[in-house]
Amino acid sequence: MKEVIAIVRINMMNQTKQALTDCGVDAFFAHEAHGRGVGFVSPAVLEGTVQGHEEAAALLGEKGKLYPKRMITAVVEDKMVGCVVETIINTNQTGMPGDGKVFVLPLTDAVRVRTGETGVKSIS
Amino acid sequence: MLTMIRAIVRPEKADKVLASLMEAGFPAVTKYSVAGRGKQRGIKIGEVTYDELPKVMLMSVINSADKDFFIETVMNTARSAGKGAFGDGKIFVSDVEESYTISSGVKETAYGSEGVAP
Repeated sequence: MKEVIAIVRINMMNQTKQALTDCGVDAFFAHEAHGRGVGFVSPAVLEGTVQGHEEAAALLGEKGKLYPKRMITAVVEDKMVGCVVETIINTNQTGMPGDGKVFVLPLTDAVRVRTGETGVKSIS
Repeated sequence: MLTMIRAIVRPEKADKVLASLMEAGFPAVTKYSVAGRGKQRGIKIGEVTYDELPKVMLMSVINSADKDFFIETVMNTARSAGKGAFGDGKIFVSDVEESYTISSGVKETAYGSEGVAP
Protein backbone atom coordinates (compact mmCIF):
# COMPACT_ATOMS: atom_id res chain seq x y z
CA MET A 1 0.00 0.00 0.00
CA LYS A 2 1.28 3.46 -0.81
CA GLU A 3 0.26 6.98 0.12
CA VAL A 4 0.41 9.35 -2.84
CA ILE A 5 0.53 13.02 -1.88
CA ALA A 6 0.19 15.49 -4.73
CA ILE A 7 0.32 19.27 -4.56
CA VAL A 8 -1.39 20.84 -7.56
CA ARG A 9 -2.77 24.13 -8.83
CA ILE A 10 -6.27 25.03 -7.58
CA ASN A 11 -7.69 25.48 -11.07
CA MET A 12 -6.56 21.97 -12.03
CA MET A 13 -8.62 20.25 -9.32
CA ASN A 14 -11.63 19.42 -11.50
CA GLN A 15 -9.51 17.91 -14.26
CA THR A 16 -7.44 16.01 -11.72
CA LYS A 17 -10.53 14.60 -10.04
CA GLN A 18 -11.91 13.49 -13.39
CA ALA A 19 -8.60 11.97 -14.46
CA LEU A 20 -8.19 10.09 -11.19
CA THR A 21 -11.70 8.66 -11.50
CA ASP A 22 -10.93 7.57 -15.06
CA CYS A 23 -7.81 5.75 -13.90
CA GLY A 24 -9.77 3.95 -11.19
CA VAL A 25 -9.01 5.92 -8.05
CA ASP A 26 -12.28 7.18 -6.63
CA ALA A 27 -11.25 7.71 -3.06
CA PHE A 28 -8.97 10.51 -1.99
CA PHE A 29 -9.09 13.61 0.12
CA ALA A 30 -7.94 17.13 -0.54
CA HIS A 31 -6.63 19.92 1.62
CA GLU A 32 -6.31 23.60 1.09
CA ALA A 33 -2.62 24.36 1.36
CA HIS A 34 -0.24 27.22 0.76
CA GLY A 35 3.23 26.58 -0.47
CA ARG A 36 6.36 27.68 -2.19
CA GLY A 37 8.78 25.73 -4.33
CA VAL A 38 12.49 25.86 -4.97
CA GLY A 39 11.79 29.17 -6.72
CA PHE A 40 13.40 28.85 -10.11
CA VAL A 41 13.65 32.29 -11.64
CA SER A 42 12.46 32.57 -15.23
CA PRO A 43 15.08 33.88 -17.65
CA ALA A 44 12.70 36.60 -18.85
CA VAL A 45 12.42 38.06 -15.34
CA LEU A 46 16.16 37.92 -14.85
CA GLU A 47 16.80 39.65 -18.14
CA GLY A 48 14.22 42.30 -17.28
CA THR A 49 15.97 42.97 -13.99
CA VAL A 50 19.31 43.35 -15.70
CA GLN A 51 17.75 45.86 -18.09
CA GLY A 52 16.49 47.80 -15.06
CA HIS A 53 12.73 47.15 -15.18
CA GLU A 54 11.26 47.73 -11.71
CA GLU A 55 8.45 45.20 -12.15
CA ALA A 56 10.91 42.43 -12.87
CA ALA A 57 12.97 43.39 -9.83
CA ALA A 58 9.82 43.26 -7.70
CA LEU A 59 9.09 39.73 -9.00
CA LEU A 60 12.58 38.65 -8.00
CA GLY A 61 12.05 39.95 -4.49
CA GLU A 62 8.92 37.82 -4.00
CA LYS A 63 10.87 34.68 -3.32
CA GLY A 64 9.37 33.68 0.00
CA LYS A 65 5.75 34.19 -1.03
CA LEU A 66 3.31 31.32 -0.42
CA TYR A 67 0.90 30.49 -3.22
CA PRO A 68 -2.47 28.82 -2.66
CA LYS A 69 -2.49 25.16 -3.75
CA ARG A 70 -4.49 22.00 -3.26
CA MET A 71 -2.97 18.97 -1.60
CA ILE A 72 -4.44 15.64 -2.69
CA THR A 73 -3.82 12.52 -0.62
CA ALA A 74 -4.75 9.13 -2.03
CA VAL A 75 -4.03 5.73 -0.54
CA VAL A 76 -3.64 3.18 -3.32
CA GLU A 77 -2.43 -0.35 -3.94
CA ASP A 78 1.21 -0.82 -4.94
CA LYS A 79 0.35 -1.71 -8.53
CA MET A 80 -1.72 1.47 -8.97
CA VAL A 81 1.05 3.88 -7.98
CA GLY A 82 2.57 4.21 -11.45
CA CYS A 83 -0.80 4.89 -13.07
CA VAL A 84 -1.81 7.45 -10.46
CA VAL A 85 1.49 9.34 -10.62
CA GLU A 86 1.43 9.36 -14.41
CA THR A 87 -2.18 10.55 -14.48
CA ILE A 88 -1.49 13.39 -12.07
CA ILE A 89 1.61 14.49 -13.97
CA ASN A 90 -0.05 14.33 -17.39
CA THR A 91 -3.11 16.24 -16.19
CA ASN A 92 -1.28 18.97 -14.33
CA GLN A 93 1.78 19.53 -16.48
CA THR A 94 1.97 22.95 -18.11
CA GLY A 95 5.75 23.08 -18.00
CA MET A 96 5.79 26.23 -15.89
CA PRO A 97 7.22 26.39 -12.35
CA GLY A 98 4.42 25.94 -9.82
CA ASP A 99 2.80 22.89 -11.37
CA GLY A 100 3.38 21.07 -8.12
CA LYS A 101 4.89 17.91 -6.73
CA VAL A 102 3.97 14.28 -6.27
CA PHE A 103 5.31 12.28 -3.36
CA VAL A 104 4.99 8.53 -2.80
CA LEU A 105 5.23 7.33 0.79
CA PRO A 106 5.08 3.80 2.17
CA LEU A 107 2.05 3.01 4.32
CA THR A 108 1.91 0.17 6.82
CA ASP A 109 -1.80 -0.42 7.15
CA ALA A 110 -5.25 1.02 6.56
CA VAL A 111 -8.58 0.26 8.22
CA ARG A 112 -12.10 0.83 6.94
CA VAL A 113 -14.01 2.13 9.91
CA ARG A 114 -17.43 0.89 8.76
CA THR A 115 -16.49 -2.80 8.52
CA GLY A 116 -13.16 -3.06 10.31
CA GLU A 117 -11.46 -4.49 7.20
CA THR A 118 -7.70 -3.95 7.10
CA GLY A 119 -5.00 -3.92 4.46
CA VAL A 120 -5.66 -3.86 0.73
CA LYS A 121 -9.31 -4.89 1.27
CA SER A 122 -10.01 -1.63 3.04
CA ILE A 123 -9.03 0.50 0.05
CA SER A 124 -10.47 -1.56 -2.82
CA MET B 1 17.21 9.25 0.14
CA LEU B 2 14.25 11.55 0.53
CA THR B 3 12.59 12.43 3.80
CA MET B 4 9.29 14.14 4.51
CA ILE B 5 9.28 16.44 7.52
CA ARG B 6 5.95 17.52 8.94
CA ALA B 7 6.20 20.14 11.63
CA ILE B 8 3.23 21.32 13.67
CA VAL B 9 3.92 24.81 14.98
CA ARG B 10 2.08 27.71 16.55
CA PRO B 11 0.32 29.84 13.90
CA GLU B 12 2.05 33.00 15.13
CA LYS B 13 5.45 31.32 14.70
CA ALA B 14 4.80 30.04 11.17
CA ASP B 15 6.05 33.12 9.32
CA LYS B 16 9.22 33.19 11.40
CA VAL B 17 9.88 29.52 10.74
CA LEU B 18 9.24 29.96 7.02
CA ALA B 19 11.68 32.87 6.91
CA SER B 20 14.38 30.97 8.75
CA LEU B 21 13.90 27.94 6.49
CA MET B 22 14.33 30.18 3.47
CA GLU B 23 17.53 31.51 4.97
CA ALA B 24 18.74 28.01 5.76
CA GLY B 25 18.30 27.02 2.12
CA PHE B 26 14.97 25.17 2.23
CA PRO B 27 12.73 27.24 -0.04
CA ALA B 28 10.20 24.51 -0.80
CA VAL B 29 7.57 24.24 1.93
CA THR B 30 3.82 23.62 2.02
CA LYS B 31 1.71 25.10 4.79
CA TYR B 32 -1.77 24.16 5.91
CA SER B 33 -3.92 24.81 8.93
CA VAL B 34 -4.74 22.05 11.35
CA ALA B 35 -6.44 21.80 14.72
CA GLY B 36 -5.46 19.44 17.46
CA ARG B 37 -4.45 18.74 20.98
CA GLY B 38 -1.38 17.30 22.64
CA LYS B 39 -0.77 15.18 25.69
CA GLN B 40 -1.80 18.06 27.95
CA ARG B 41 -5.32 17.40 26.61
CA GLY B 42 -5.83 20.93 25.36
CA ILE B 43 -6.04 24.01 27.52
CA LYS B 44 -8.36 24.44 30.47
CA ILE B 45 -9.33 28.03 31.13
CA GLY B 46 -11.70 28.23 34.07
CA GLU B 47 -14.52 25.79 33.43
CA VAL B 48 -13.97 25.55 29.69
CA THR B 49 -11.60 23.06 28.08
CA TYR B 50 -10.31 23.85 24.61
CA ASP B 51 -9.18 20.60 23.03
CA GLU B 52 -9.00 21.71 19.41
CA LEU B 53 -6.22 24.25 19.31
CA PRO B 54 -5.37 25.87 15.98
CA LYS B 55 -1.91 25.06 14.69
CA VAL B 56 -0.08 25.27 11.39
CA MET B 57 1.45 22.23 9.68
CA LEU B 58 4.57 22.83 7.62
CA MET B 59 5.43 20.03 5.22
CA SER B 60 8.63 19.70 3.28
CA VAL B 61 10.43 16.92 1.43
CA ILE B 62 14.22 17.14 1.66
CA ASN B 63 17.32 15.01 1.34
CA SER B 64 17.90 12.78 4.34
CA ALA B 65 21.36 14.27 4.75
CA ASP B 66 19.81 17.68 5.54
CA LYS B 67 17.33 16.24 8.03
CA ASP B 68 19.10 17.19 11.25
CA PHE B 69 19.83 20.73 10.08
CA PHE B 70 16.21 21.20 8.99
CA ILE B 71 14.88 19.95 12.31
CA GLU B 72 17.32 22.13 14.23
CA THR B 73 16.23 25.18 12.23
CA VAL B 74 12.54 24.56 12.90
CA MET B 75 13.16 23.70 16.52
CA ASN B 76 15.16 26.85 17.24
CA THR B 77 12.62 29.20 15.68
CA ALA B 78 9.38 27.51 16.72
CA ARG B 79 10.27 27.12 20.39
CA SER B 80 8.93 29.77 22.77
CA ALA B 81 11.52 31.99 24.39
CA GLY B 82 13.50 30.41 27.19
CA LYS B 83 12.90 26.73 27.85
CA GLY B 84 9.92 26.45 25.54
CA ALA B 85 6.30 25.88 26.48
CA PHE B 86 3.57 23.29 26.07
CA GLY B 87 1.95 23.75 22.69
CA ASP B 88 5.08 24.66 20.78
CA GLY B 89 4.41 21.71 18.52
CA LYS B 90 5.86 18.52 17.14
CA ILE B 91 8.05 17.43 14.25
CA PHE B 92 7.41 14.15 12.45
CA VAL B 93 9.82 12.50 10.01
CA SER B 94 8.82 9.90 7.43
CA ASP B 95 10.46 8.25 4.43
CA VAL B 96 9.49 9.19 0.89
CA GLU B 97 10.04 6.57 -1.79
CA GLU B 98 9.55 8.70 -4.87
CA SER B 99 9.13 12.37 -5.64
CA TYR B 100 8.07 13.90 -8.96
CA THR B 101 8.19 17.47 -10.16
CA ILE B 102 5.07 17.90 -12.28
CA SER B 103 6.33 20.76 -14.46
CA SER B 104 9.37 18.85 -15.73
CA GLY B 105 8.30 15.27 -14.98
CA VAL B 106 11.63 14.64 -13.27
CA LYS B 107 11.55 11.72 -10.86
CA GLU B 108 13.68 11.65 -7.74
CA THR B 109 14.14 8.49 -5.74
CA ALA B 110 16.43 7.32 -2.99
CA TYR B 111 19.04 6.76 -5.67
CA GLY B 112 18.97 10.16 -7.37
CA SER B 113 17.16 11.83 -10.26
CA GLU B 114 15.89 9.75 -13.13
CA GLY B 115 15.46 12.17 -15.99
CA VAL B 116 12.21 13.12 -17.65
CA ALA B 117 9.18 10.87 -17.23
CA PRO B 118 6.82 10.33 -20.17
